[in-house]
Amino acid sequence: MIWKLSVTGIKNRLKDYLVLFSGLIVASMIFYMFLSIATNPVFISKDVYGREAYLTYIFTFGIILLVIITSVYLIYANSFLLSMRKQDYGMYMMLGAKSTRIGLLIFSETLLTGFLAVLLGIILGLGLTTIVTKALVGKLGVEITHYKAILPSAIIGTLLFFVIIFLLGALSNVHKLTHTPVIDLLHEDQTPINLNHHPVLRGIEAICGVLLLAVGYYVMTLSTRYIYFLIPTALVTIIAGSFFVFNGVFTAIINYLLNKKSFSYRGINEFTLGQLKFRLQSYTKILTMISILFALALGAITVGLNFGSMKDETQKSFYYDATIVSQTPAVKKAEAKLAITNKQTYHYKEKGMHLYFNRAEFEKQPLKEIEIYFHNNQDNLPTYKVKTLVTAELDKPETAANSIFSQMVPNGIPKKIKLVSQQRWNTLNGQKKFVSYINVKDFAHDFPVIKQIQKEQLKENRNYQDIYLSSKSYNYSNMIGFTSAFEFMGFFLGIAFLTMLASTLMFKVLSGAASDKVRYQMLHEIGARPQLLRSSIRKEIGTLFTMPAILGIVDVLCGLKLFKTLLISPYHNIWIPFTIFIVLYLGYYLLTVTLYEKIVLTNK
Amino acid sequence: MTEILRVDQVTKTYGKRGEKQYQALKGINFAVNSGEFVAIMGASGSGKTTLLNILSTLDKPTTGNVFINHEDNSTLNANQLADFRSQQIGFIFQDFNLLENLTNRENIALPLSLRGISPRKIDPLVDKIATRLGIKEILPKYPAEVSGGQKQRVAAARALVHEPAILLADEPTGALDSKSARELLYTMADLNHNDGITTLMVTHDPFAASFASRILFIKDGKIGEQMLKNGQSRQKFYHLLIDHLDTDE
Ligand SMILES: Nc1ncnc2c1ncn2[C@@H]1O[C@H](COP(=O)(O)OP(=O)(O)OP(=O)(O)O)[C@@H](O)[C@H]1O
Ligand SMILES: [Mg+2]
Repeated sequence: MIWKLSVTGIKNRLKDYLVLFSGLIVASMIFYMFLSIATNPVFISKDVYGREAYLTYIFTFGIILLVIITSVYLIYANSFLLSMRKQDYGMYMMLGAKSTRIGLLIFSETLLTGFLAVLLGIILGLGLTTIVTKALVGKLGVEITHYKAILPSAIIGTLLFFVIIFLLGALSNVHKLTHTPVIDLLHEDQTPINLNHHPVLRGIEAICGVLLLAVGYYVMTLSTRYIYFLIPTALVTIIAGSFFVFNGVFTAIINYLLNKKSFSYRGINEFTLGQLKFRLQSYTKILTMISILFALALGAITVGLNFGSMKDETQKSFYYDATIVSQTPAVKKAEAKLAITNKQTYHYKEKGMHLYFNRAEFEKQPLKEIEIYFHNNQDNLPTYKVKTLVTAELDKPETAANSIFSQMVPNGIPKKIKLVSQQRWNTLNGQKKFVSYINVKDFAHDFPVIKQIQKEQLKENRNYQDIYLSSKSYNYSNMIGFTSAFEFMGFFLGIAFLTMLASTLMFKVLSGAASDKVRYQMLHEIGARPQLLRSSIRKEIGTLFTMPAILGIVDVLCGLKLFKTLLISPYHNIWIPFTIFIVLYLGYYLLTVTLYEKIVLTNK
Repeated sequence: MTEILRVDQVTKTYGKRGEKQYQALKGINFAVNSGEFVAIMGASGSGKTTLLNILSTLDKPTTGNVFINHEDNSTLNANQLADFRSQQIGFIFQDFNLLENLTNRENIALPLSLRGISPRKIDPLVDKIATRLGIKEILPKYPAEVSGGQKQRVAAARALVHEPAILLADEPTGALDSKSARELLYTMADLNHNDGITTLMVTHDPFAASFASRILFIKDGKIGEQMLKNGQSRQKFYHLLIDHLDTDE
């Protein structure tokens, strides 16, 4: 009988159940994806990154963060589940169902929900992981040989993690319900809210909050030499500061607005503010957590993408895009594919310990290089200037021009460079060779072809190795390997964080929807237009979403200072991650509003 | 005497077509004049709440029309209905229906801000009605911090602050102890008598009904008969009413 009741109970809240269920599926999907990519043998093997230990460390760090956020998320999802079923459970108990029976019912309901969701999540996760991996591999430009789409260890890990968390959740649900008086379960909506108005206390809290935040932000600007001291200090002060700010500052603002009658006595502003004021008291903890996670997630994406920008910097720090020293058909064929904008060819004769160049060629087409200027100002990128190498200095030892040029010619380091006149050059005997420096229209686009040319030249010309290591494409591909790991980490951690923190907030808001419904019904009865109710909902939920976002953004802006030694310019192109982030976050906001309106505004 | 409310051949059938249907109201006709205090009495399930929900435009009749201030409710769209409620109707419900996240003052102010009254004028109006109902002291408190009787006064203040055409009350004393119930009823009678507030109250309690000047009896979805006070004292009217109900059973 009671099982039948349970099924009808769930049927009645099917829509809410689907929301919860899809949230859980997405969470387990992301969890599986991260776990399987991070632990996939192909990604932690040397041939991709070459910095094994470092990367394992980063990924472990990532997994720990993911475990924490997923746990928090599941706790809130679980409380949402409970809030949906509370009244039904209370009803069964009032009808005389034994609390042990109800306990078993809750337990199996929670566990079954979790288990089904994670199972589906893993299956979908397999597909998602394959797609994402393909994209990632394509970006890395490496050939994958031993990639495994299905990773049993990741499947078991995901399953185990979710089942354990849900087991704990189920136990806590049982405990909560069997220890709540039946009457409170039935009248959950009318439970009086804890009212405490201590303006002085709030004022002190507000001041403390702002001060603590200021200390936290200041600490992060200090020299990164003390990083082991900085990070814990900043974390503690910022978390405490955010908590007090939510409790103090925002409450003060709301009180101010409530007292400002010209504002609060318009439409149902009063009601919106009242809702927010009461929410803030029960939301302080979750908002604090969300602002911190928001910062971590946004920070992860920003830093991750910023590592990506390091390869652009690599591009800029070389003047010539490629060097050609061979004339084999394969090289010629590849060269024809390039969109060449500039080609400077120099001929030389190799004789004993000397390389003889024709001075006239340099006078006609002077060699160029990039000079890099670093600035003390952390917010600016280094600037790059094109400089012409003085032809007269090219063969003078101990000059900068000579040393640069030596590194640009195969075998130019052990041998000496000499520039001679046209007549002299013509009379010299010795092996006649050439070297061409090329600029293409779009380096990133032609990069695969340039790599192909290099490969051919390495096969054919042993001396080419000398200049290969200091070539633009070599450094560029090195950088891709190095940065992609960070980009990937940052991006997926960021997205995973964002989806979970946004849906945590969503579940928190939705858990209260059932009890809010009564209020909206009342407003409807006394004649508030539906449009007005909608706009109040949008404002209220909007504020709940905006507050942690604002703090989180400030956290990131200040926190990026920590990366000033690691990244060339942490603030470069910052709008890209911010935009991605805000668009996704906005999506969650709109989803929450839609779902909330569905629950709250449908008449009985 | 102007007519404030007219109910014309109103029926209400619950349940969709093809499903099991139940006719809760079977053709209701009556009118209420300005300044009247009318009670509607009936047994449980007789259709009182159904009728009140239709009068207050929260629900639509299946057939028939309701006119308040000569305006036909059925011609209004959702926004107009909301505006209509916020301007013409004041409500008191059995379960208070106060917003517990607003102070009593803010609760009372709500209908005024909904009507777009200038914020400057709101507080004086709230104070005025609160003084009239003797709840000035508890204005800064939250509903959860005051007694049931006080809550119902706040609800009454909220129902009256915007001077609606008619005050609708559904079992306003249902959740009150007898002392608070008595106080509220005296207040309502006083407001009706001295301030001329047209009141329509639904109740099954003869004591509450005896405060009205006219009582309509509803039975099985139809208005049966009516009793008029005709200047008798409340006590007398109450005894007559009890006798009437006894013979009726
Ligand atoms: N939403 C509904 N759907 C179907 N039937 C309904 C609905 N609401 C009320 N009814 C039925 O209509 C009839 C009248 O109900 P109503 O609530 O108006 O009674 P009432 O006179 O207010 O009773 P009470 O004194 O118990 O409050 C009842 O038989 C009830 O079962
Ligand atoms: Mg009723």
